[in-house]
Amino acid sequence: MTSSLEVESHDTATKDTAAARTDEGAPDELFTFQELARLDEALTMSSRETGLRFTLYIGDLGPRTRVQAEDLHARSGSHPTDAVLIAISPGQKVVEVVTGAGASRRLPDRACALAVLSMTTSFANGDLIGGIINGLRQLSDQAGHPATHRH
Amino acid sequence: MGGPPPRGVGADRLNGGGAGKLSPVNTVEVLLILVGIPLAVIVVLALLTLPGGRKRTRYKPGQPWDHAPVWYEPHPEGGGGGHGPGPGSGAAAVGGGSTNALGSSMYPEQPEERNTDSASGGTSHGDSSHGAPAHGASAARPVNAGPLGGARGTW
Repeated sequence: MTSSLEVESHDTATKDTAAARTDEGAPDELFTFQELARLDEALTMSSRETGLRFTLYIGDLGPRTRVQAEDLHARSGSHPTDAVLIAISPGQKVVEVVTGAGASRRLPDRACALAVLSMTTSFANGDLIGGIINGLRQLSDQAGHPATHRH
Repeated sequence: MGGPPPRGVGADRLNGGGAGKLSPVNTVEVLLILVGIPLAVIVVLALLTLPGGRKRTRYKPGQPWDHAPVWYEPHPEGGGGGHGPGPGSGAAAVGGGSTNALGSSMYPEQPEERNTDSASGGTSHGDSSHGAPAHGASAARPVNAGPLGGARGTW
């Protein structure tokens, strides 16, 4: 008989339900909490200020990085037209910025290239988080506020 | 001159000599005071600070990447200030429900969350999100976003 006070894991997950929190292993601590907080704030604030949806992918992009990044961008939300994907493959030393059709009107390729240049400079200096945040800041500065673009 | 000498008080008594005369301090005591005490302070401070340092070496871009892919997305708009879901927003109200970039764990789990990659081991908790979109293609349908723009860079 199962006591309601049990705290040990009993592997109760089924194929339709999530695993219990106690079944999850230790998280892969890639970034510190401070770094994650900076990242979180930068992503959220740039998205809210510009009205575009910035997402950030960090991981392997395969041999065809551009194709993979565009594929990720197409699946990055319900409205990828206004989405901006920053895909970084640190192992391959590649950054891809993908903008949807609507986003690219406010973020021309030259602006993206400038942000990418600033990011790669930081990455080359070994600063992954700082480069991402600087790139996000540049992109959101360039995109501006959505209200000023409506008229 | 006659009579017993006055009993020493204070330092005089400790020195055992006359007034104004200090007892000789031998070398061991000098070393203990001038070297031992500073060393003890240094050791205490070192013990307090050194083990609390960064346990793991910081990742530098360009090193081999052996982590699971992560995909961060912004908080949904109107999230009630960022601390927990707003009064009217349950799991269904979290924006971006059709993506497999995961929402913040400050928000309720999305139904698609577990479909992405349960074996990725989790990357972070707190105010981040993680996922393995490369392996979870079934979670979100690709949407055509028109002519794409962007830039590419290497370092």
